[in-house]
Amino acid sequence: MPKIRVRKSDKDIPKIARALCDEMLISLEKGQRPLLQAIKCSLDNSIYKASKGFFTPGGKVVTTELNVSSVQKIARTVFILDIMLNNLRNGTVNSKRGFFYILKGACKNDPKLKPLEVQDQSETDAVINYVADLLEVYREELNCHAGDRGGQTFSKNLVVTETLEDGSKAVVDLSGMGTSAFQPQNKPQSFKLKPKKGKIDFCLVIESETMANTLVTNGFTKRNNCIVIGARGVPSNGVRGWCKTIQDQLDVPIYFYGDLDAYTLQNIYRTLKAGSAASLIRNADFSAPEVKFLGLLPDDIKRYDLHYYPVSEKNASDARALKKAKDALERDPFFADKKNKKLADILRWLIKEKKRCEQQSIFAVNPKDPIMSEKIIIDKIKRKNYI
Amino acid sequence: MAKITKSSTAEYFAKNLQQVGFSSPLKAVLTTLKEAVDNSLDACEEAGIAPELKVSIKKVGKGSAKSTDLIQITVEDNGPGLEPSDLPQVFGEYLASSKFGRGQCSRGQQGIGISAATTWAQLTNATGVKVISKTKKMRKAVRATIDVDIKGNKGLIKNKETFEWKKPHGLKVDFKIDGRIQLNGDGGLITYLEGTTLVNPHLTLEYDLLDKEKVRVDRVSTDVPKVPPPTLPHPHTMKLGEFLTHAHLYGNLSLEQFLKKAFSRVTEATVKDMLKNGLPKKLKTMKVQKIPEKDFKTIFQSIQNTDLANPSTRSVLTVGEEGLAKSIHRIGEVDFFSVVTRKPKICDFKPTVVEVAIARFLDKKAAAEEQSVQLLRFANRVPLQFDKSACAITRAVESVNWRSYGLMQSRKSLPLGPYIFAISVTSPFIKFKNASKETIDASDDLVEELRRALMQAGQKLSRHIKRENKAADLERKRAHIEKFGPILVEGLAKIVGAGKDRKKRAEQGLVKILGRDSKEAEKDLKAADEKLALLKDKQAAKLGKVKVDTAEGDEAEATEASMDVPAVKATTAKKAKKKTKAKVQKKVAKKKVAKKATKKAAKKATKKKTAKKVKKKTKKKTTKKKTKSKRR
Repeated sequence: MPKIRVRKSDKDIPKIARALCDEMLISLEKGQRPLLQAIKCSLDNSIYKASKGFFTPGGKVVTTELNVSSVQKIARTVFILDIMLNNLRNGTVNSKRGFFYILKGACKNDPKLKPLEVQDQSETDAVINYVADLLEVYREELNCHAGDRGGQTFSKNLVVTETLEDGSKAVVDLSGMGTSAFQPQNKPQSFKLKPKKGKIDFCLVIESETMANTLVTNGFTKRNNCIVIGARGVPSNGVRGWCKTIQDQLDVPIYFYGDLDAYTLQNIYRTLKAGSAASLIRNADFSAPEVKFLGLLPDDIKRYDLHYYPVSEKNASDARALKKAKDALERDPFFADKKNKKLADILRWLIKEKKRCEQQSIFAVNPKDPIMSEKIIIDKIKRKNYI
Repeated sequence: MAKITKSSTAEYFAKNLQQVGFSSPLKAVLTTLKEAVDNSLDACEEAGIAPELKVSIKKVGKGSAKSTDLIQITVEDNGPGLEPSDLPQVFGEYLASSKFGRGQCSRGQQGIGISAATTWAQLTNATGVKVISKTKKMRKAVRATIDVDIKGNKGLIKNKETFEWKKPHGLKVDFKIDGRIQLNGDGGLITYLEGTTLVNPHLTLEYDLLDKEKVRVDRVSTDVPKVPPPTLPHPHTMKLGEFLTHAHLYGNLSLEQFLKKAFSRVTEATVKDMLKNGLPKKLKTMKVQKIPEKDFKTIFQSIQNTDLANPSTRSVLTVGEEGLAKSIHRIGEVDFFSVVTRKPKICDFKPTVVEVAIARFLDKKAAAEEQSVQLLRFANRVPLQFDKSACAITRAVESVNWRSYGLMQSRKSLPLGPYIFAISVTSPFIKFKNASKETIDASDDLVEELRRALMQAGQKLSRHIKRENKAADLERKRAHIEKFGPILVEGLAKIVGAGKDRKKRAEQGLVKILGRDSKEAEKDLKAADEKLALLKDKQAAKLGKVKVDTAEGDEAEATEASMDVPAVKATTAKKAKKKTKAKVQKKVAKKKVAKKATKKAAKKATKKKTAKKVKKKTKKKTTKKKTKSKRR
């Protein structure tokens, strides 16, 4: 039975898996090529509706036919699936890394299995994701978790209660942690959250962990009744699940603060808000559609006299950034949605003006004032200067 | 004020020997050998003699300088020999050359190299070079020691004596110098000697290096290349000063006659164009010696502003695809190769020929796939072994995208793999970067021409690689069936809880499915084999008698009955290969015939069509004319 509960599901995973394998075996007996079908996890098969708020899969499927090129992948899939079914039967949990070593060890131990040998964890990760896509279940429901961290979290008014394996409760009061961060691991959905006192005003998700640390060190969480999260770049499943839990349980406005460039808008903010195309079947529980984009916005450059960089097409990385912005406008259904027009306008502005601005630029506005950055963020929230 | 002194050319070079290739003991040995070999080859070719060289390099003691050895370098040839009176000039005087500024594709150009070698011997071992020479006319050979008179830039002949020498004619030089020996690698002696044999198919070379076994490499061509005579200078390649000096040689002629006679690509029409471009009319018929010097600038400018045909490419010499293909097999057993000789082209207003040979040697196949290819560079058939990175040839190789031809390559660097890339540039005016002639200047024109040649060779190479990939693919597919089949069935049966019978049926079904895949791969491989055979047939046709084996193993052998190349062992396996080859050739011939027929039919059809079109057009025209005339 699944040990990590992320959602309520009545899917009988062992039954589905056995049916799938039986179908494959029957095809083989008949000398026919077994066909495996999974949802196509890519941007061109992603549907975005503002009413739902996250990417859902379209109708496209990826069909894998058994042939000499795919036989290795399918053999590995069946092998990993067998271990997963065993885990579900025994109530054992394994990490992605664990699966890598299990397969590696099995291949070393049994010469017959040598052809399945893997060199790198990315190979087993791909198989694990494929199994989840095939069965249309979450990886966690197969008792497999990743080493994802839920982002460094700071607050003087948040209490987290976790129900442990044996049914006992662990309570973490974030107000007593000083400048140390609370960092939920891979199953934030199993937490119960509540404010220590009254209601929390807002939650601020910051692109960079170091910037979040600096703000907290300067007393941001002391002066403000809020939650600050350092997302550490592109949000992992842990961060996305954690933000979703905060959104669902605390009913507080969530703001995202990051760089003013295409990468931040598409890869970081959009992934946090609407999920990713690579994990289409799990976005419902791994995205926080109510997150607002606090900045940096193009107007902020002028208003706060921020330092910015010109983006040149001659520079390879800059040219990539511009191309990314263009691609996002052309291909990403999130930016094509009317509700996100203002975000798409930022991309257009980036392409036209060829400028970019770093999130840390607010530290340079008035170096003599250590809380100037905090003042700017609060000012923006108060003036509702966000999208 | 300090006293101004005058120094001789020899004094200058004696102090700056690093400029001409003597910058280290290691390079000194290679440069000395190179200069001696170059001179021998040039002399043999000029006299129409197929060169036969004997090279010996030995350690004979300790060198005078710290951590050097005393090295004896001997080079003996069967060339025409030198008159005793010429010996001091050739070996002891700087800039005394029969080739300077001649505009020919000879190896030596300036008359510096061998004198520099004598100077190095003199500076490090206190004796010059020992020479033995005999011309056809001489009854006895002359033996002497030549020193360089550094103050006077003159050669000094010492210990001259005559003796009986078995050879009818020839020359032998014997240097004893301070140096160090490197045999392999970019600057190695063996690399140099192998390179020299590669681009000189007509050379028989015997070398005896240190205590290694003697090596003899026989010639694969009896044709001694005739160095084409120089062509007249092209006005656009000259500077004003050169133009003036050149004009003084033709003083008695009128300007028009001088321009037409003393330059290439100047015709009556050119002179007319020059008149339009500012040449005063009165100068046209004036005698050259009577034209005032200030007017030469106007003449020069007018000719520079006039469009002229590119210089002639007749003065360029090539090794040729046939020669290269035969020669490449002398270096080692070749797995496969491709050769390209481009047509002569004008690069930077200089006639230039680029030749490329790419080969994979069986003994080098064991070397790591991730090593860069071995790059052999040649300028006027002389190997270039130092300062690789700045050379036009290296730049060109790095600029080609070798991944599209199936080779591994990091961005803007040499491709990887057990290959030898031999690239030769031949031109009467190669633009070297330094006097030691180690690197060719990377002009855009030349790099582009080199790139084209490399890409052509790459296309040929890619067919071999594709064929190999197909073979590997088939192998992989066959292995997959055996490897993954049982694991997959076992896994499925375990999950489902299937019995032995189901398992057996599934295994049989799996073998069937995967067997179909490998059959398709076999078909692909066959098609690739046929394509490759076609290419090799084309190559063989180009190379005349050279036979190219196309069967399994992909051995390519270039042998010729008349050559002294080891005979091919006739084995039953090879007979079988020949049979299959013959079959392939028959198929190819059939295809060719069919192609020709279709081409002919297509031509006929197009002819008919065009004839119809012409008829229609003429009809239209006539009707139009008629209507026009009616309107009128």
